[in-house]
Amino acid sequence: MRFDVRSREAGDGIAILSVQGEADAFTAPRLKQEMLSWLDRGVNRIAVNLEQVTYLDSTGLGVLIGGLKRSRERGGDLVLVCPNDRITRIFEITGLSRIFDMLASEEDAIKHLRGGQDG
Amino acid sequence: MDSTSNGDGTAVELKIPCEPEYVGVARLMILGVASRMSFPYDQVEDLRLAVGEACTSAIGRSRQAGQDKSEITVKCLIQEGKLTIQVSDSVRGSNSEAAKHSGGSEPPEGGEISALLMEILVDEIRTESDPTAGTTVTMVKYLEGS
Repeated sequence: MRFDVRSREAGDGIAILSVQGEADAFTAPRLKQEMLSWLDRGVNRIAVNLEQVTYLDSTGLGVLIGGLKRSRERGGDLVLVCPNDRITRIFEITGLSRIFDMLASEEDAIKHLRGGQDG
Repeated sequence: MDSTSNGDGTAVELKIPCEPEYVGVARLMILGVASRMSFPYDQVEDLRLAVGEACTSAIGRSRQAGQDKSEITVKCLIQEGKLTIQVSDSVRGSNSEAAKHSGGSEPPEGGEISALLMEILVDEIRTESDPTAGTTVTMVKYLEGS
């Protein structure tokens, strides 16, 4: 049940967070902490890569919703990279696929976030 | 982990502390039981998620009631073509409806999504709360084609 969050700056105020393992009530607070640390530094365009996530529960979803709200409040956005069918299904059955922009790759996510920039 | 067998099926039971770090142990139990019953992969994953949500809800109630020493019991009843899972907590004086919307430290959507996921992922679900004993969530999943 290994869980890991790695993050990097992709330029233009965009951060990529790569999540690996099971995101639940025990581990999701680490994802929240990582997202907040980028938002606190003024990086409010965030892509969360869920490709290596093997389990995602309502706590993990709650953390992502919280991140989306906070980034949009700051004029940014949070998008998901989710080529994983199992995880995509969780967003579909909860209706959250209508709220999040879900992209197939990190490159697509960066392109999407750059396209959303003002000016 | 205990197991018993009689004419009504085989029961497998696990007790875990009401703490987030042990929910993964309950999910592993469900993985083992549901796989052994030959549920397809997607349905095994659905059951793991539903049980994880039921345990996480119990932890939310425990925190809300300030009862850190509570336990969660996960009981699987294996019958022909049918798996019944009971997730019981010993959190007294809790309100399972209010806890649905507590969602711990996250936005309220987390608790609402948890209830929604459980409803969707299993074939039948029933929640019984006794303020003097705790809450039991009973979920049933039928094995297709049996």
